[in-house]
Amino acid sequence: MTDFEAIDALLAGARKEVPLPPSEQRRTLREGLNVSRAQLARALDVGPSTIAGWESGREPGGEVREKYAYFLEGARTKLAAEAEEAPDGHDQAERTETEEAPAGDDEPESAEDIEPEPAHDTEQEDVETLPVARPCVLCGQPAHHQVAGFPQHLDPADCEQAEPARSGPTPRPAAARGVKVVPVGRRMRRADTPDAIGSAVAAALAEHSGDVDAAAAALAKRAIPDAMALLDATRKGGRYDVIAHPWLPDILRKQTSRGADRIWEARPKWARPELPPGTHGVTALDINGAYLSALKTHLPLGQLEHDTTGVHDRRRAGLHLITPPGWDHEAVLPNPIGTRDEPGPLWVTEPTLRLLLRLSGPKYALCDPPEIHESWTSGATESLLEKFRTTLKDARERAITEGDEVTLEYVKAMYSKFVSTMGESNYNRELYRTDWMHIIRSQAFANLWWKAHRAYDEGLMVVRVMGTDELHVVGDWRAVFDEGRGVTEVKVKDVYTVDADGPADEKGDPHA
Amino acid sequence: MPERTLEFGLYGARGIKGHQAVARQLDALVDYITSPPTTRRGLAARLRYLTRTPHALAAARAAGLTVTDRTLKAWLDGARRPSNANLARVEDAYRTVRRHNVARHLSARLHRAGRGTRVEIHPVNQSGVERPRQRAVEYRTLNIRHWEAIVDAWAAGDEQAMDDAWVEQIVDLGSQWGQYEYVTNIGFAA
Repeated sequence: MTDFEAIDALLAGARKEVPLPPSEQRRTLREGLNVSRAQLARALDVGPSTIAGWESGREPGGEVREKYAYFLEGARTKLAAEAEEAPDGHDQAERTETEEAPAGDDEPESAEDIEPEPAHDTEQEDVETLPVARPCVLCGQPAHHQVAGFPQHLDPADCEQAEPARSGPTPRPAAARGVKVVPVGRRMRRADTPDAIGSAVAAALAEHSGDVDAAAAALAKRAIPDAMALLDATRKGGRYDVIAHPWLPDILRKQTSRGADRIWEARPKWARPELPPGTHGVTALDINGAYLSALKTHLPLGQLEHDTTGVHDRRRAGLHLITPPGWDHEAVLPNPIGTRDEPGPLWVTEPTLRLLLRLSGPKYALCDPPEIHESWTSGATESLLEKFRTTLKDARERAITEGDEVTLEYVKAMYSKFVSTMGESNYNRELYRTDWMHIIRSQAFANLWWKAHRAYDEGLMVVRVMGTDELHVVGDWRAVFDEGRGVTEVKVKDVYTVDADGPADEKGDPHA
Repeated sequence: MPERTLEFGLYGARGIKGHQAVARQLDALVDYITSPPTTRRGLAARLRYLTRTPHALAAARAAGLTVTDRTLKAWLDGARRPSNANLARVEDAYRTVRRHNVARHLSARLHRAGRGTRVEIHPVNQSGVERPRQRAVEYRTLNIRHWEAIVDAWAAGDEQAMDDAWVEQIVDLGSQWGQYEYVTNIGFAA
C-alpha cells in the first residue's frame, strides 16, 4: 500500500541528528577564526541573532544543523592545525575568554575599577625567539618572535610599516572587522569617523612647520573651545542633553567676589602621625590622569531640586548637607572627608557621600553612616561624559605609545582645563556647571582615597595622601600597583628614606 | 493676549519674567568693574571710565550724572566724596554707559555671523504648587538669531521694549510659549 511506502521512505530518509559541540564551545570556535556572527549568518542563510541563540544554548535543526556542524568541524580542524604549528597555541580559547570579559564594575570607586587591565603585556609574558620567521598575527609579515604562542612583531612600529599580506595563513582581525556605513539619502556611504584631536594636532604642526613647542603652545590656547566641541560631538545622538546653564542654588554661588562657595570637596591632605621605629624607604607615587578618570562619575543632569527627606537615592546625584561620621582610623588611613578643621555639618558632593556610605556598609564597616540633613539633587547618569572621556583616554594612550608629546600635552590641557573652567569661569562661558566641577574633583579625591585603601589593604604602609594624585607608601608597592603611564597605572614621583630612629629629619635619597 | 499670565504665582509657582532673566544673563556676560563703588578704588575706576573722553562725559551726562565739572574734578582728586545719593547716580550712569558701549559687540557675538545662539529656557519652579495644579512644563532650548532688539532694549534699560522683543522671539517655541513667559533661568553663552 502506498501508505507503507511513504512510511518506508520516511524511515529511510530519517537520520540521526548530527552531533554538535556544546554551546559554549561554538562561540569560541567561531571567534577563534575571527568570523563574525553576521558573516557566518550570511553563509548559513540565517539571521545573526539565530547564531547568537545557538551559541547560548539553543539547538539548530534540520538541514541548517548539518551546515552548522560542517562549519564547526571545519573550524575545529583549522584551529587544531594552527595550534600544532604554534606550540603554545592551546590557550586560544582562554585568550578569547579574557578579551570577552566585561569591561569592569559599574561602580567607579577607584581608577583601577574603571579601566580594564590590559589583557597581556609583551614586556612580561613569555617572549620566545623563533628559529624560522612566521607570519605576524597582526600584520601578516614575517616575525621572529612569538608571545604566548602568537608570532608577532615586538615593536609596533615594525608592524605598521609592513605592508599587510593579502593571503596570510593566519586570519587578520582588521580584515574581519566591517567598515561602518550610514544611510545618506537613498544610498549608503562610509561613515566618516572624524579624529578631531589628531587633525587638530596635525594642523597645528603644519601651521608652525613642525615646531613642536610652538604647536603645543597654540594647541593649549585652543584647548577649551576644542574640548567643548568634542563634548558636543560625543553627545550626538545621546539620550541626555548637556544642560549648560541651569539655575544654581545659593550654596554654589561665591559668597564674596573672591571667596569660595560652600561646597567641601574633601581634598585629602593627610600625613601619617607616627611611623614604627626603623628606617623606611618611602615611594611617592603619582596617579596618572586623575581628573581624566574622574570624568566617570554620577553627574546630575538637570536643575538641582531641594529635598529634606534625608534619604539617599542612588538614581540621583548632587550636593548633600551631612554631619560626617567620626573616623577612628586616622593613624593608618586618611579621613574620607579630608582634613577638616571646623566641626559640624558640611555640604559634600555625591562621590564623597557615596564613599562614606560605602565605607559604612557591612563590607567595610569603617565608620557610621553619615547623617543627611538636606540635598540638592537631580536625576543622574554616569555615562554623560563617558564617550568624551574614552576619546581623550584613547588619544592619550596612542600618544604615549607613539611618543607624541604634542598630542599628550594637548589632551592633558583639554581635560584639565575642561574641569577647571566648567564652573563660573570667563574662559569657558559655554558651560556653567559649578556642581559638576565640584563633583568631578571630589571623584578624583575619592579615587585617590580608594587607592590608599587598596595599598593599606594589601599590606603597604600609607604614609601620606595629598592633593589629587599623590600617594606615599612604604613597602613593595609594585606588587599592588602597575608602574607605567596609563590611567590605571602609577608612576614614581620621588623615593626617599625616613629614619624613624635617628634625629627628626628627612633625607632625600634617590638610591634608596 | 491670551498667552500672557494674569496672576502669576497665585498657586505658588515661583519664577521671574523671561526678559528679566535675559537681562540678568546679559549683565553676567559683561565685565563690570569688580570693586564696589563704595570703595575708593571702585569709585575712581568708575569716574575715570565716565570722564576719560568728552564723548564718554557727554554719555554720562545723558545717563543722569548731573553734577558740575568742578564737583567731578573734586571727586576724582579725592578732595571730596560723593554723597550716597550721588554714589548711586554714578553707579547707574556707569552701568548705562557701559551697557551702551558693549551692546554692539555683544549683539555681534550673539548673532555669530547669522548662526545665532542656543538659549536654554528653564521652566518655573512648581515645587510650591499643590500636586493637582502642577503642570508638565519641560526644559526647552531655542536658537535665537535676531538679538539686536533685545540687546538694544537692555542697553537702553527699557523694560517694556525688552519684554516685547523677548516675547517676539519665544513665540517660536510654538503654541505653548505662554508657559515660558515666566522662567527660573535663561542661559546662553556669548
